[in-house]
Amino acid sequence: MQAVVVDHISKCYSDKVPALKSVSFAVNQGEIFGLVGPDGAGKTSLFNIMTTLLFADEGSVTLLDMDVECDYKKVRAVIGYLPGVFSLYPDLTVEENLKFFATMYKSSLTENMPIIKPIWKQLTPFKTRKAGKLSGGMKQKLALCCALIHKPEILFLDEPTTGVDPVSRKEFWDILKTIQKQKITVIVSTPYMDEATRCDRIALIQEGEIIKIDSPEKIVKGFEGSLYSIRVKRIFDTLKVMEKCPIECIFYPYGEYVHAVFYDKNEVTIPIRFADFMKDNNMEYSDMKKITPSIEDCFIELMERRKSE
Amino acid sequence: MHELTKKFGDFIAVDHITFQVKKGEIFGFLGANGAGKTTAMKMMCGLLRPSSGIATIAGYDLKTQSKQIKKRIGYMSQKFSLYNDLSVTENMQLYGTIYGVKPAALQVRIRESLKDLGMEKYADKLVGAIPLGWKQKLAFATALLHKPDIVFLDEPTSGVDPIVRREFWDRIYKTASTGVTIFVTTHYMDEAEYCERICIMSNGKVMMIGTPTQIKTDIGVDSIEAVFSKFVKR
Amino acid sequence: MKELAMILKKEFWHILRDRVSLFLMLSMPIVLVLLFGFTISSEIRNAKIAILDHSMDSQSKNLIEKISASGYFQVVSYPDNETEIDRDFKSKGGKLALIIPANFEESLAKEQIATLQIINDVSDLNVASILNNYIRSVIYDFTSDYNDLATDPLLFDISVKMEYNQEMNSVYMFVPGIITLIMIIVTALMSSITLSREMETGTMNMLLITPVKKVYVVIGKLIPYMFLSFICTIIILVLSVLVFHMPIRGNLLTLFVLCVIFMLTSASFGLMISALVKTQLDAMMMTMMGLFLPTVLLSGFLFPLDNMPYFFQLLANVFPAKWFIIAIKDVMIKGSGLHEIWLYMLILFGMAVFLITISLSRIDKRRKK
Repeated sequence: MQAVVVDHISKCYSDKVPALKSVSFAVNQGEIFGLVGPDGAGKTSLFNIMTTLLFADEGSVTLLDMDVECDYKKVRAVIGYLPGVFSLYPDLTVEENLKFFATMYKSSLTENMPIIKPIWKQLTPFKTRKAGKLSGGMKQKLALCCALIHKPEILFLDEPTTGVDPVSRKEFWDILKTIQKQKITVIVSTPYMDEATRCDRIALIQEGEIIKIDSPEKIVKGFEGSLYSIRVKRIFDTLKVMEKCPIECIFYPYGEYVHAVFYDKNEVTIPIRFADFMKDNNMEYSDMKKITPSIEDCFIELMERRKSE
Repeated sequence: MHELTKKFGDFIAVDHITFQVKKGEIFGFLGANGAGKTTAMKMMCGLLRPSSGIATIAGYDLKTQSKQIKKRIGYMSQKFSLYNDLSVTENMQLYGTIYGVKPAALQVRIRESLKDLGMEKYADKLVGAIPLGWKQKLAFATALLHKPDIVFLDEPTSGVDPIVRREFWDRIYKTASTGVTIFVTTHYMDEAEYCERICIMSNGKVMMIGTPTQIKTDIGVDSIEAVFSKFVKR
Repeated sequence: MKELAMILKKEFWHILRDRVSLFLMLSMPIVLVLLFGFTISSEIRNAKIAILDHSMDSQSKNLIEKISASGYFQVVSYPDNETEIDRDFKSKGGKLALIIPANFEESLAKEQIATLQIINDVSDLNVASILNNYIRSVIYDFTSDYNDLATDPLLFDISVKMEYNQEMNSVYMFVPGIITLIMIIVTALMSSITLSREMETGTMNMLLITPVKKVYVVIGKLIPYMFLSFICTIIILVLSVLVFHMPIRGNLLTLFVLCVIFMLTSASFGLMISALVKTQLDAMMMTMMGLFLPTVLLSGFLFPLDNMPYFFQLLANVFPAKWFIIAIKDVMIKGSGLHEIWLYMLILFGMAVFLITISLSRIDKRRKK
């Protein structure tokens, strides 16, 4: 059975810019499904619709064979939600917050303790501290505990790692993996492309539209054009020169490298022709090599291609 | 001229940090949440008083001449930047005027920077209604209206899509090439590579300063992310 | 039910931890009662009076003594003729003059009638009319004393009799008003602010997403603030009895039942407001403009309703405060019982039911937006 089926969801707010344009996808049970896209792409609207907080203008969402609009009461009992902004009571202590939400779900602290145990252990030293006085990472962990306390079947996480440093982000994703092992379906959104590889499947979303749904590996496999990374000294000067490159390509800085996607059919001769071009323009570079694209490369390539179409 | 040294003592958030930044340099601040980046930045902007230590910013002493410093710096952050209920032009007029740009010159500069950004069509739109990527570019342009010597950018590209992020860095480079010093914090490790020099902070202390390549070779790893994990590991 | 208990517990945690708000809420009734009681009081004591006594007999002396003993008046001069009255008004600050005719005692005894003349300084109309009432009541007292002793009863042509509030004590006027205001601040304002705070910070979404019944969330919000405002009401009543010696003529239980119903009405007003707005600030402004000001101006608490243009008299019916103030005055001052004020209670209760129904459906409809 599929955990989530989103069928042609559209949503338009009063300012007439459509937030979601006929979005469809399905999530398998026990999967970590990522919604990857920048802020304002419509991820939060989609989350609100899936979690029964918002009605869609068109289309339907089915969670475990229950319609989110008609059966919202039943749906609410089986989902957990971690919103993008900290939404617990800052003047209540860590333990009080957890107890409160446990009661709201007709559960108790002890009933589902095994599920949250690994996270809760880290929070135990701060049990009596007010939630508002926790550090960002700890707040997030508490919110996760509150979202898991009733042992939901589907867990929704709206940008849990935004603004979090890379190390804590990694830690958070490790936690998600352990949650997945408890047979909980996880739907997570993120603006960080590098996190996409940790999902089983991802949907790339931009301006309210899904531009690709697949497993990260398959998305990478489906990359069109050939990607090269080029090591250069002065990145932004090089980019300026490359605008004049005769070979059909898109290029962008990538860390200390420049990444260039070439669409030329005559692949073998690309490095030679590129070398000639750079020489003509007196640009130094080293280490030009063909690489497998990252999700970020795929996103940029897809976006650029859509723009030109 | 542009030497900057700071020492803070007995301050939990920022602990005796010392460094210098040259004019026109792009200087990156890296660290885990709560490492003291924002606190350090706030002190340099004159928003917080250092408990001890000396700092010279744009040739002025941080303790005694913070008023002059404030005129010479621009500040932009992900959280506090523009008023959503004012239009693009109104926001720029407001900040330009606050920083003492003369009305006639301000008009010209607003027009120029909107043209530069390709945002003329948004000029009368409310800031709340324009896409985030544009908003961030606009905030950056606004922080530059009074032609500051130093601009502080606190996580300017958080949540922005990868293309706009690169466009944003393109702007940073352009600005730096006109002699403006750029201070930037980020959680994107690839962006750290775009900085001329980076400073890695942990627990309020400066762990390392240098060019990205230099730091990587010193530690013996091949990515800034690996460097980062090494220092931040608890 | 366990959920409701938990929500209530949570709400009390919020209240008890925000010490500043709690302190303000509990001290507000004290400050208001004392402020109104001592400063905005419409009661006048020791008003300066000039008495022109043409008869100088024992009865006129009796009357003068009665006047100065009343506590309301202080006799500042005994002018010899009518032009001197005018002089004393100006130089001695007299507000009122009483002219006792010649042969006062004789005409009382023989004709059973005497004509007293009162001259008022009407530069302050309010003060003048209050003093006029005072002096009339003193004269009335004097008459009844005389009648008790005399064989032939007197025919004084002063017919005013002060009903219910014989002491002319203004505490009676403002205590119901203050109770109303406090209840609106504590129940309507606080519940609308805290509800919209939950919406602003996103905790409302967290609550809505749980399977807990919406009614529980709402009731859990209303009860704690009703409880608080009940405490405030008791503080006000205790203070007005202890400091201003205000008797409560009606049944205490009736009074409390009435208060609880009004609290429910004003809390549901707050609920309605928070269902309409999105931020705490909007909720506050809306409660102030939409509920607080009309309550002050249109409830008959500060300004008599009868003097208002017809439109405003009609408008006043919409706000619960008008009905509550009529009812609470009846209970406290006239000593009315349940059977006399049930209509007002019904009106208030009806309003509450109506508002709660609407706002419950409004909170639900937000999802459609």
